[in-house]
Amino acid sequence: MAHRWGMAVDLDKCTGCGACVTACHAENNIPIVGPAEAARGRAMHWLRVERYFEGEFPDVRVKFRPVMCQHCDAAPCEPVCPTYASHHTDEGLNAQVYNRCIGTRYCANACPYNVRFFDFFNPQWPKPLHLQLNPDVSVREVGVMEKCTFCVQRINAAEIAAKAEKRELKDGDVQTACAQACAARAIVFGDLNDPESEVARLSRSPRAGHLLEDLGTLPKVAYLERQTQV
Amino acid sequence: MERRDFIKLTAISSASATLASCGNPEHQLIRFVPDEDLAPGIAEFKPSVCPACAAGCAVNVRVMQADVDTVRNGQSGVVTMSVAKKLEGQPKDPISQGGLCARGQASIQITYHPDRVTQPLKRKGNRGSGDFTPVSWDEAIGELVGKLDTIAAAGDQKSIAFVTRPRRSRRAALIAEFASKLGAPAPIVFDPMGDEVVRRANAISFGHEQLATIDLARSRFVISFGADLLGTWNSPVAQSAGYGAMRQGHPQQRGKLAVVESRMSITGANADEWVPVKPGTEGVLALGLAHVIVANKLRPSSSGRAAAAIEGWSGGLADYAPARVEQITGVAAKRIERLARELVDFRPAVAVAGGPAVAHSNGLFHALAVNALNDLLGAVEQPGGVFFTPGGQSPVANAQSLQSLSAAKLVVIDEANPVYGAPVALKVRETFEKAPFIVSFGSFVDDTSAYADLILPDHTFLESWVDTTPESGSIETVTTVAGPVMKPLHQTRATADVLIEVAGRLKSPIALPWKTAEELAKSPAPGPQPPQAARPPEGTAGRYSEPQFAGDAAQFPFHFLPFKTPQFGDGSTAHLPWLQEMPDPLTSAMWSSWVEINPATAERLQIAQGDLVDITSPHGTLRAPAMIFPAIAPDVIAMPVGQGHVTFTQYASGRGVNPMAILAPATEAATGALAWAATRVKIARAAAADRSLIMFAGEMREHPHEGEIR
Repeated sequence: MAHRWGMAVDLDKCTGCGACVTACHAENNIPIVGPAEAARGRAMHWLRVERYFEGEFPDVRVKFRPVMCQHCDAAPCEPVCPTYASHHTDEGLNAQVYNRCIGTRYCANACPYNVRFFDFFNPQWPKPLHLQLNPDVSVREVGVMEKCTFCVQRINAAEIAAKAEKRELKDGDVQTACAQACAARAIVFGDLNDPESEVARLSRSPRAGHLLEDLGTLPKVAYLERQTQV
Repeated sequence: MERRDFIKLTAISSASATLASCGNPEHQLIRFVPDEDLAPGIAEFKPSVCPACAAGCAVNVRVMQADVDTVRNGQSGVVTMSVAKKLEGQPKDPISQGGLCARGQASIQITYHPDRVTQPLKRKGNRGSGDFTPVSWDEAIGELVGKLDTIAAAGDQKSIAFVTRPRRSRRAALIAEFASKLGAPAPIVFDPMGDEVVRRANAISFGHEQLATIDLARSRFVISFGADLLGTWNSPVAQSAGYGAMRQGHPQQRGKLAVVESRMSITGANADEWVPVKPGTEGVLALGLAHVIVANKLRPSSSGRAAAAIEGWSGGLADYAPARVEQITGVAAKRIERLARELVDFRPAVAVAGGPAVAHSNGLFHALAVNALNDLLGAVEQPGGVFFTPGGQSPVANAQSLQSLSAAKLVVIDEANPVYGAPVALKVRETFEKAPFIVSFGSFVDDTSAYADLILPDHTFLESWVDTTPESGSIETVTTVAGPVMKPLHQTRATADVLIEVAGRLKSPIALPWKTAEELAKSPAPGPQPPQAARPPEGTAGRYSEPQFAGDAAQFPFHFLPFKTPQFGDGSTAHLPWLQEMPDPLTSAMWSSWVEINPATAERLQIAQGDLVDITSPHGTLRAPAMIFPAIAPDVIAMPVGQGHVTFTQYASGRGVNPMAILAPATEAATGALAWAATRVKIARAAAADRSLIMFAGEMREHPHEGEIR
């Protein structure tokens, strides 16, 4: 059976620390844009931790929510792309083909989650920072749109390794960089088509819901709501 | 023909072909013969130890082949070698348990930083100018040996000062041994926001002068008095792992978290119950909880050392009845009653003290009070409570001993940055301007090494032998030792090797027990210490005394609270570009300093988000943009530590302001530790918002500054 990759984020475990944000930069060759461009709203974080304050002092509560591409099954970014750069793979990933992208940015306009980022410039890594670049991930040039890939390079590597060893992928073989870095184990990645996988189990939790699910985008990232105990 | 010989041959022939084809030497590409066997495109994993803080997380380093610009025998060229690509938590490590925080993830950029010190440097310009000239290793080591010999000849060894940062590794032992054999005073461990007050309290209450490991995973109720468990305090990765398990690791049982503080930390943001208190009264609340438990006989009253350290314990803590505690702390008496009952009902429960709670003039009292509460709750060395890791190494820091530097003839700096971290009132900068000779092992020209006469750059952690025996984070003792992950990129040398060489080249050589950095890292750490005998609390630490604040309350109406952030910690990772551009978890600020102000206070003072405000303490004024922050008490002003470096690479130099600068040199009364939460300030709107406050949230518009002229 084909895989259907998905993610579950337990907001009751997430501390908002931001380890996932940096891990994502390290894994996916995401450039920094510098203070001037960041002030213009051009900072690139495929994964961000949203935080919401509720109430007024002294009764203040905070909710954190890591938000990355939700890899929607009915993705609004896909039908608007004139070049099929944004498309759906057999395994349910919402993929971006950088070489097809002509930078119309229609997809970013259509995305309700604000998770697509445009390369306004060619990225720069003053030497020898370039030695850190991950050879498994293409570096994006000016004029293309980029976003969370669910660490597709790690999925591919695990699938190739399993094929070479003539075995099936098992739960836990693929870990995205964010899930791996998370100390509290709030982020879990895996195959939603495997009912025994941890991600499938968590996605069935009564606490699980999806971000802006009433838009009908059918996201594949489940958020397990934070519990309250006062 | 061997594979290696074949490669050599082809390398030589291609190099000569390149030489022949290019007339212009700048266009020559010299490709050196790789001296390791590599498989292109195949990743290997090698162990190492994260250098970002003292927690000592073991990491797995992903290593792959790359072409590296290098210099060999004075000839620049390219060599193919294996280089680190990514750091990941080591799943078998009881500390990191496979996770790694943002600072740890970004540590790889230390090795690849474009502004690293690539070879030994000697000062050319004025102190602090950052104007250096390269010298050879032989000359540099010769100069240091000469200085040491001159001082030894004059019998002036006491005037040699070593300044280090807290670490739990064998390197600390080497520097201590080197200093002692030389006849120099023990190294000064510089850690201005360190935990010596908590360590002292643990020595008094439990006989262990070290930070405790908190068994969060098995606890059902955790109450933190100021300790930012999940963000910046002690061992955040281990504690976050425990937190995840506490919340959702047990079916049908979710642990509860309460946090007592006056400005919301990351830990406070995750609390079920956030309990703001008046600064400097945290321990009173802890004893208020103990009073309710004892008075209602909810638990058998304890009579151990921890209880004996508190005045009035045997009399049932009569001074800490809820009504009185409400007056002092501002926490409602009813809430104290309820929290106390919950602590008993939800056992195993545990209390933790740290951070601003113990950074007051009466800090030791708060830590002792929390220890006594733990004892009462039965949380000491019990599942779900606090444990003392056997053999955990705890350095003892003392910012005040920096003053002994003014008499030093030779100052040796190992990774400490006191010019940045010490309050301006301690005049560390002036001391360094006048010091006869300063040597630094720094990898960067930072605020302090800019004053050095000689920089002997160390390898980074990925290029050298590393080891750690963390103070806490795991109930069992953990020691991690790892070899170099990759060859050095630059003409640097392991500081351990440099010190060993210096020791041997002195006129009267020092015999060190280690011959190489490798031998040092592999040498066993000192074993577990038996618990010390009970130590009586010094002075009146067992009784609540009103906290003393620097600055008159009428003139300086606000408490000033510097705080560490998960991206910069004490400021030592501000030079890493990923961390500069990482949105701050609670404010989403990037590349900025900011001043957190309660919305009601800001409205009263007519300060809007981003407006520039002047923060004035009795010791100076800072100007930074305002951040209207809902989770801070109206009489508290908070600022993140980390920015405001004068000199610290292209990414951090001259960026933002440093709140440590305007702190009063106030100390905790019993320990002499810097009381960094004991300064008062006034604030005033200085100018309209400029663009120095950069935020990720709310800035994701297509044309955020349309119409503005850039």
